[in-house]
Amino acid sequence: MPTLSRRAFIGLGGAAAVGTGLSWRRLSGLDIPGRNTNALSIAINGTAQDAAANQGLIDAFNKVHPDIPVRITPIQGADWSDFFAKILTLVAAGTAPDVVMVATEGTQLFADRLAYPLDEYVMRDKADMQEFFDDVHPSLIESFMYKGNLFQLPLSWNAANIYMSSKAMQRAELDYPATDWTWDDFRSYIASMRKSATGSFRPFFWTNRLFGGVVPWLYTNNTNFIKPERFSGGEWLWKQFYPRQTGRSGGFRWEQPNAEDPKVVDTFEYIQDLIAENLASSPVQGGGNELVGRFSQGVIGMTPAGGYWVYGLQQAGMRRTDYDVAYFPRRTTQQQSFGAAGYAIMRSSKMKDAGWEWLKFCVSKDGMRIAQKHPDSSSARRSYNTELYQDAGPTHWQAFYDTLDKFPTTAPIPAPPQEAAVETALIKNVVNAVTGSRKNVKVALGTLQRDLELALAGE
Amino acid sequence: MSATASTLTPGRPVTVHPERATTFKDQNRRAQGRMAAWFLAPTVIGITLFTLIPMAASIVLAFFSWDIISAPRFVGLRNFQTIATNPTIRVSFLNTFGFVVVAVILQLVVALGLAVLLQTKMPGWLRGFLRSAFFFPLILSAASVSLIMSYLFNEDFGTVNKMLALVGLGPVKWLTTAAGAMVVIVLVYVWQNFGFTFLLFIGGLSSIPTDVYEASSIDGASGWSQFVRITLPLVSPTMLVASVMAIISALQIFDQPYVLTRGGPGDATRTAVMVIYQSAFTELHFGLAAAIGLVLMVIIMLATWAQFKLSRKFVFYM
Repeated sequence: MPTLSRRAFIGLGGAAAVGTGLSWRRLSGLDIPGRNTNALSIAINGTAQDAAANQGLIDAFNKVHPDIPVRITPIQGADWSDFFAKILTLVAAGTAPDVVMVATEGTQLFADRLAYPLDEYVMRDKADMQEFFDDVHPSLIESFMYKGNLFQLPLSWNAANIYMSSKAMQRAELDYPATDWTWDDFRSYIASMRKSATGSFRPFFWTNRLFGGVVPWLYTNNTNFIKPERFSGGEWLWKQFYPRQTGRSGGFRWEQPNAEDPKVVDTFEYIQDLIAENLASSPVQGGGNELVGRFSQGVIGMTPAGGYWVYGLQQAGMRRTDYDVAYFPRRTTQQQSFGAAGYAIMRSSKMKDAGWEWLKFCVSKDGMRIAQKHPDSSSARRSYNTELYQDAGPTHWQAFYDTLDKFPTTAPIPAPPQEAAVETALIKNVVNAVTGSRKNVKVALGTLQRDLELALAGE
Repeated sequence: MSATASTLTPGRPVTVHPERATTFKDQNRRAQGRMAAWFLAPTVIGITLFTLIPMAASIVLAFFSWDIISAPRFVGLRNFQTIATNPTIRVSFLNTFGFVVVAVILQLVVALGLAVLLQTKMPGWLRGFLRSAFFFPLILSAASVSLIMSYLFNEDFGTVNKMLALVGLGPVKWLTTAAGAMVVIVLVYVWQNFGFTFLLFIGGLSSIPTDVYEASSIDGASGWSQFVRITLPLVSPTMLVASVMAIISALQIFDQPYVLTRGGPGDATRTAVMVIYQSAFTELHFGLAAAIGLVLMVIIMLATWAQFKLSRKFVFYM
């Protein structure tokens, strides 16, 4: 058995101690810029590269506010729920950030438990803010209201539109659809695509998730799997910034499970038929990265996506004319759906005023130009959205923002404070509902109803 | 060696008195004890900090309701009541048990079959290659493997369905039907994990004396008869170890169903550990997650205890 002399042992121990001492700053994270300082801490859902890409934004912000040091902390989440869980871990550890990037999926969770309402700041700086609100559609603002208070300012958003492969359209001799095309029109479109195609071509491909899954179909059938209701309140904002708007609320209220509504059943049966007729794929799990590749290869005819796809398709080598975008077809209404993202200030923050300055700077046109250089999400500002897409988007790129203008009742994906549990319940029951037998639709939706009741009750 | 005297340097005798020798011995023993304590300290501290304390905290947490944001609230046995009544949790345990039965049997059969085949005559390089090839999947990340498998088993564009189409079969709804999804998960899991069991069996088989087989051949035993009457009994101690480890590992399955199906369709492939993850990190029910973990730990302990009890009847030690 090899032996270790006392001298060698002490020597090794000393070397280990010296090594630890020399690398202490790295081991303890003291060398991270801005760590343990009074910097405004901002958490984003992304990688270190994403944080580095925001350095330009920090530099520009510091030119205006040299007294507010900023540190952006990238937190990688597999999806928004994962990101929010990690933020909550930081909160539990007593190291909560001051400002967090929050998507629609987490808006009500943060508003209910963690975020600070922006009402006083918005009203304090109403003269500055008017220009922002003039450039932003009220539906985006309404989606960030909760119980009458405003919790976020939208930076980017995406509607669930229909992307169409030009090759598949031409092969099937199809024209661009009418604005008010119907579910029946859609069905005949994808049937024509199927007829004219060979091999493993899939006329309609979709992913099983909250955004772009069954929700747009439910909305266009004037229903949803949670009863769409609104909170009262919010008049302070509407009167001040959108005086001509009527019927706006204090935010979307998602409290009553509605999975057994006849219109929900009707929607699932329609989708089930598309799958049974081999026109649509069984909904697959995933975030859609693979889908960009498939679509650019021309093996998919149509799929739901938003403005965020344009840059991905560009990178995949698609030209503007290789694809186009249209609104979701109508059944009983043509109410569209979207998801948005923006910064929220944490209630626990001791730098709320500085956080507000950051929010204000980020929603300024200059801030947006620095933060978003590519057409990888629709901009909340109509004017900047035009700048992003007019030279890069498909022929009907205006459809992105016009989704809100043409269909003013367009609403966010249903995301109550218990969104993670709700999304889990939805995803797990959708496949059963649309891939089984016809009578299985009601059974699966009954299970969804039960799971939603448990999720919304917080059990 | 005598306790009264010893020679430390050749040619130079040193006389040691018995009482002083005892003192030296004691000092030496104490010094060794201190040295052992120093060497063990990092491990003991690590296990205490990162295993024992979290385990104790987890057991305590099982009786609380905690969502990270608010302070924990004592709820007594309510979390265990939820485990008994919540249909998703119940189904996930049943799925886990079903998976364990199928996957462990398949894993043991495949590993033993291949280990026995590798004992037959073949070139040394081929044997070495096959051993490495069978073991190789084990060193891959389960999440990466599952991600790749999700592409292979994709209903529309997957390679597996394309291959089946070449012979006029399919397309098979691998990941969107309950049966298909469970088959894929079992296959992926067994493919990735049988390598370790296989190595255990290789070791077990090589320890069986060849003269036992030679003697049975002289007595006219066939290959099958030798397998059933010699190989299986003599490899049974290895089988016990392999099955204990396989069952413990299979009861904790998470990566494959999480990446391939997220537990779907419906709850068809949801497992106990998935529900723990989901309860804690998705739904923020940390107390419930701790309670499910505690139940799973008890099940694993019972399964292992039962296996060792049964082994008295079925395991043959040479």
